[in-house]
Amino acid sequence: MKTELKYGEGACRTEDHDVHRRLFLKGLGTAGLSSLMSWSGLFSFSAFAQAAKKEGKHCILLWLCGAPSQFETWDPKPESIYGGPFKSIRTKIPGVHFSELMPRCASIADKLAVVRSMRTKPNEHLQAIDLLCRGNPTREPFVRPTLGSVLAQQLGHLENPVPNFILLDPCPEGNEFKEFKAGNWAGWLGAEYGPVRVGGEYKISDAQRLADLTTQDAEEREALRRFLTKKYENDRSSAAAASHNAIFSRVKGLMSSAHLFDLDKLPARDREKYGPGNFGMHTLLARQLVENGAPFVMVANGMSWDCHVYQHEIYQMLVPEVDRIIYHLITDLEERGLLDKTLVVMMGEFGRTPWLNAARGRDHFSEAWSLSMAGCGIKKGVVVGATDPDGARVIEKPFNEQNLFATIFSALGLDPYAEYNVPDIPTFYRVENKAEPIREILS
Amino acid sequence: MPEETSSALKAGTKLELAKEIKLPTIVLAADADPAGARLFAACFDGVVYEVNAATGEHRALGRHDSYASGVCFMPGTEILLSAGYDGKLCWIDPANARTVRTVQAHQFWSWQMDVSPNQEFVASCTGQYLAGGYKYEPAKGNEPGVKIFDAKTGAQIRAWEQLPPVLSLAWSPDSKFLAAASMMGEIKVWDVVANKLVSNWTTPDFTSWGIIKSHHYIGGIYDLAFSPDGDELFACGMGPMSDPMAGNGHQLWQRFDWKEKKKTGQIKDDERGNGLMETLRFHPSNSAFVMAGRLAQGKWNAAIFGTAGSLIHSIDNKMRVTDSVFLGRGDRLLLAGGTSQEPRKDGKCPDFGRLQIYALKS
Repeated sequence: MKTELKYGEGACRTEDHDVHRRLFLKGLGTAGLSSLMSWSGLFSFSAFAQAAKKEGKHCILLWLCGAPSQFETWDPKPESIYGGPFKSIRTKIPGVHFSELMPRCASIADKLAVVRSMRTKPNEHLQAIDLLCRGNPTREPFVRPTLGSVLAQQLGHLENPVPNFILLDPCPEGNEFKEFKAGNWAGWLGAEYGPVRVGGEYKISDAQRLADLTTQDAEEREALRRFLTKKYENDRSSAAAASHNAIFSRVKGLMSSAHLFDLDKLPARDREKYGPGNFGMHTLLARQLVENGAPFVMVANGMSWDCHVYQHEIYQMLVPEVDRIIYHLITDLEERGLLDKTLVVMMGEFGRTPWLNAARGRDHFSEAWSLSMAGCGIKKGVVVGATDPDGARVIEKPFNEQNLFATIFSALGLDPYAEYNVPDIPTFYRVENKAEPIREILS
Repeated sequence: MPEETSSALKAGTKLELAKEIKLPTIVLAADADPAGARLFAACFDGVVYEVNAATGEHRALGRHDSYASGVCFMPGTEILLSAGYDGKLCWIDPANARTVRTVQAHQFWSWQMDVSPNQEFVASCTGQYLAGGYKYEPAKGNEPGVKIFDAKTGAQIRAWEQLPPVLSLAWSPDSKFLAAASMMGEIKVWDVVANKLVSNWTTPDFTSWGIIKSHHYIGGIYDLAFSPDGDELFACGMGPMSDPMAGNGHQLWQRFDWKEKKKTGQIKDDERGNGLMETLRFHPSNSAFVMAGRLAQGKWNAAIFGTAGSLIHSIDNKMRVTDSVFLGRGDRLLLAGGTSQEPRKDGKCPDFGRLQIYALKS
């Protein structure tokens, strides 16, 4: 059934929804608005998914939006005329070097898997962000869910008090990323699998229960709300209404877990390790949320990696920060016994050109770029693929977004080729074309 | 330094390209001998070149382990000083193309290096931008931002703190004072002999904080120059941008009464375009100065201004200018820099370093 509903018509205008709007900013609200086709529940849950849910698997995506340079991170070329001013350093993996800006990651390279041979097509941010967040090319007018939405559905529980898909991004602007953030994240899965976006403020003060509201009053109010919203849903027999109510449930969940977003309650030592920049603080928050049951957290920070100018002047700061953050995240998850069931992905939407432009920046480059993963389902201490001496082309084992998504799903114990059972539209698979996962990095 | 007294630049003076020399990689700093016959270039490939201004022939004199970022010729001793992103200062004997002394001046890059006019001191500035706060304010450095060395012996004689990164520095004409400026627009002036900070202020006009796309700082003061009488200090760079990745802040110079810590002038609004300005040098006659850099939007990337501040002449030379030197008596101007790097052609990376020599014609 494809019933187009205008979300404003007949929609609730309660005080609670005002809270919802304040909390979720643009991301969630727009996801609801743009999910005109919602077939929640129609995706067939496989045995894979049930097992993954049962095992409590998680995923943290450190989204290095703007597209980081492979040269100053995972695939340095200090001998090349295109290599830039930074040297390379040895890592824990014999014969493998990272940029000198990543000494901490070099020290835990034996826990990481690095792919140096990503080759994708889109060379502009919006198209590439869309592709690398959804894993397959768009087939208009059907909107494929993003990775976070798929994992929220597959690994999460709607009754989970912690939101199933959390996007931490403090930068309200951001050009192409802003445009993407305002789009439809959950696609045909329905708005309930869209992200809860929190940015800029760690405390969610509006979500605290009023001090003069007793527990009994709160429960009675909640029972009344459940009754009315179920009646609303039944009266309309609408999937969109169900989505609406599911979103409300998530708001309520967020309210009950608001304390988890309060970094002041975390040990000062942790804040020092990850901070002081907001990307690090949000990564710490991601760790905290995963520890408390969040299945998927995406951490972003505007589009800071898009250095068309001052490449090295900015990377001298950005890369050491992300190096420190990755090190602490992986180490902390391991110490807490969470790394084996938490997949950590560190990537952007493409890489940067070997050649510097006149503004001493590196431009967009999707021909040959790198990413890194660690944790759940991922082999430790592996580097796969290779680029030529200038980093200008992949010379060994090229992989694209479909290979990447097949790898992520496989690592998390999900069937990469499961079929979306959506009526009246073409058949879609979680990963199209039976694209192979990157087997070299799967454990 | 000019061999003879140079003539004041007149209204109507124009720059005419006399020669263009290509080098393998972009030039980050340049200098010349007093006659302007031998040019010296510090380049991306780490090499310090000597270039024949007439023929364009060049040879390597020394090499750094990363980008070479500074070069100064000392005519009195015929020694060449170079600096690099390896944090080293090198004393080079050009006659024998031999490095005679190397000093590890910094743990991070030497952003800029300059020899005092009396050739007694070498100053170099450094500092890595690391996140020091939620909004990515620069963290305090783990080494002094400014150091001074004895030009003859290489011994360190001064080390001063300044919030990193410290991007530029300048000597007063009498070699008594050294000024240094940072990404955050902080300018400090020290009395070198007294080893004392004598002035310190901040101009916010050269620094951007990313309102969109990136929440961090960028920019700063890329070059400094004392006025010929030593009373004023000129700074150049680029005005603030809301998108720090755009590189389109307005072309900017400002001048200050450095003793009073007061701005006394800046580029006129109707004379500027957009783009980062990286070099500002006075003409030997002290009647004008050149400011140059990269053009993002507008009409020029190199311009000559009268000391009163009005634009005399400007050009767009289609390259990023990183340094400038008035040659000989000031009748020629060297603009150093480069173009975009390009992919290899027939296995070779096309040369993208440029030295352009302009004749100043009335």
